[in-house]
Amino acid sequence: MLSQAQRRKLSEWFTAYVFLAPWFFILFIFVLFSIGWAFYLSFTDYNLFSPPKWAGLSQYIRVLRDRDFLQHALPNTLKYVAVVVPIQTVISLIIAFALDQSIRFRRFFRTAFYVPSVTSSVVISLIFVWLFSKIGIINQIFRLKIDWLNSPTYALPTIMMVNIWSTIGTMMLIFLAALQDIPVVLYEAAQIDGANRFQILRHVTIPALRPAIFFVVTMGVIGCFQVFDQIYVMTAGGPLGSTTTMAYLIYKWAFGSTNIQMGRASAVAFILSLMILVVVLIQRRIIEREE
Amino acid sequence: MDRKLFALMALLVVAGLVLTACAPQTVTVTVPVKETVQVPVEKTVVVPQERVTVRLSGWAANPQETALLESLLYRFSVENPNIVVKYEPITGDYWQAIKTLVGAGEEPDIYYMDIFQFPFFAKEGVLLPLDDLMASTGTRRDVFIPDLINAFTYEGKTYGIPKDFNTLALFYNKDLFDQAGLAYPTDNWTWDDLKAAAQKLSQPDKNIYGMGVPADPGRFPIFVFQNGGRIMTEDFSDTLLDSPEAVEAARFYTGFYFDKSGALPSDVGEGWQGTAFGKGNFAMVFEGGWLIPYLNQQFPNLKYGAVLPPKGPKGYGNLIFTVAYVISKNSKNPEAAWKVIEFITNEASQTTVLESGFALPSRASLINNPYFESHPESAAIFRGANGATPFMWGLYGSDVNEKMGQALERIYLKGQDPAESLQQAAKELREILGK
Repeated sequence: MLSQAQRRKLSEWFTAYVFLAPWFFILFIFVLFSIGWAFYLSFTDYNLFSPPKWAGLSQYIRVLRDRDFLQHALPNTLKYVAVVVPIQTVISLIIAFALDQSIRFRRFFRTAFYVPSVTSSVVISLIFVWLFSKIGIINQIFRLKIDWLNSPTYALPTIMMVNIWSTIGTMMLIFLAALQDIPVVLYEAAQIDGANRFQILRHVTIPALRPAIFFVVTMGVIGCFQVFDQIYVMTAGGPLGSTTTMAYLIYKWAFGSTNIQMGRASAVAFILSLMILVVVLIQRRIIEREE
Repeated sequence: MDRKLFALMALLVVAGLVLTACAPQTVTVTVPVKETVQVPVEKTVVVPQERVTVRLSGWAANPQETALLESLLYRFSVENPNIVVKYEPITGDYWQAIKTLVGAGEEPDIYYMDIFQFPFFAKEGVLLPLDDLMASTGTRRDVFIPDLINAFTYEGKTYGIPKDFNTLALFYNKDLFDQAGLAYPTDNWTWDDLKAAAQKLSQPDKNIYGMGVPADPGRFPIFVFQNGGRIMTEDFSDTLLDSPEAVEAARFYTGFYFDKSGALPSDVGEGWQGTAFGKGNFAMVFEGGWLIPYLNQQFPNLKYGAVLPPKGPKGYGNLIFTVAYVISKNSKNPEAAWKVIEFITNEASQTTVLESGFALPSRASLINNPYFESHPESAAIFRGANGATPFMWGLYGSDVNEKMGQALERIYLKGQDPAESLQQAAKELREILGK
């Protein structure tokens, strides 16, 4: 026999799961099942048309020996994360500080900086293809003759710039919200204790922003590891593989090839998620230790 | 004050976005369909026969081509009331979509098959051999241009009926030739004529170049063929990109870039050399028939002509780009599907295709059609098929294309020697081919 309390708990439990059911359904079919299936595929030889053939770890071994992966996808992805994440975090933090002050037109600026974040990345990419073309506006302003997107040296940095420009809006918004959440009493207390502006920033503002920084850096790392659409639109992985990233390689092997390599593409996908997981765990360690 | 200003700014921004988004594009669309698609109201009571449905998919290259196919299908439906053709065009990435559909066993009965993608589908056995169906209606293989129907033959069986094709022609800008005081190109040009003309036509200070020489695996191979070389061996098991013929062709092709008688599309700020040709930046380009409707729409005032590509040291060479209709092996109504294909590739339908100006028909007999007399550019592209090679490099076609493109890029962007660059490409390709 159930006691009244137990019965109530059971009914609460039941109600909760009924409400969760639709979402669970979607989660299982479109997320968990898909991930599990992809994980299985990464151990097979699969070309979409014939049933998957078990291949053990051979796909992983092939990927780790592959020229495209070792010379282009892996270093380009790491370079991309190492450059874009710190720059976009610092710039968006600085803009958030500036727009947190009571300056003129700040509402306008807040909107202006946010607009790229609500614009389609494909549209932004197309605009930048035009801006950075050999006879484009950028070259005309700076009197340069660089073929930005067709140069193995400049193509990746150009895509980095596009991504930094288009993501700082969202990050600025998160920082701005966090800044406005800091209680005024903390600043007043610091002022009474005789702290100067820099000391306030170092010992009050930055520590209070720590959760926001963690969030922004984590989202930045995940987004940068997975960079795809800008590359697909602007350079298609070229020239000479200089903008082939891991996500683009997945696409190339899975769909962009006359001879489909689903197994190998899935193996790259799992190597990529493992890398993201490791980086995020390290990052959390660092933040925790500082606390 | 602050708030009002913000509201105004926001309004302007939004208005700007809305306006740019909705700005109507003025594109003059000449729909070449002669019949208006009107259902003749004729209500005879048909004895109920079993109706079968056949699904047909292809990419939607442009609205005119879609309208053309729809008009052919309409004519078919009038003659065959028992077969309902459901036309389901695929927008976006066609190959991604069709491969996923085939993988799931959900593909349409009839779909477009590009020769470049054909080897994989043939090897996997997902297509229906058409020979028996062809025999059932007395359709002979030899009514089609041999290179086209042979291209869709795998292990002795016919798997696709070519719907149309393209080759590359030498397009030239008449005004730029007149200004330079040069005679227009002819079908009998040689590499030397091409080089001499390109050098005379180039005015790099005015952003005008003699010829477009993109690092494009869909253009460069014709020079290899003209030099007596090949891209792949006969059985596609090995590449011949590092052969002396290919190296010499690469040296000739990229030479235009280095002596400034030619340029890459990106040098004049374009993504495609067709646009650079239309804008008068390039005096000559090698392109297919797709350039003709594009130029007529986007650059209606451009005076241009087209002739066969020049002959190289070893004579003529060209690429054939072709698409066929194939039937899925999973089709439940292969006979009905065949009837559809048979109809839309028959002589009458192919004549309609030709007269629309979008693509060249696959039937050999149409060479005598009067259309060609009034359209010399299309005639050049049609005649170009004679002695040309299908644009197909076997199962690893996309890898061959990628390595070939990169070999040209290394020469252009890094100044690498053509021999060295092509050897590197061949070496990387052999790793993929498992050599």
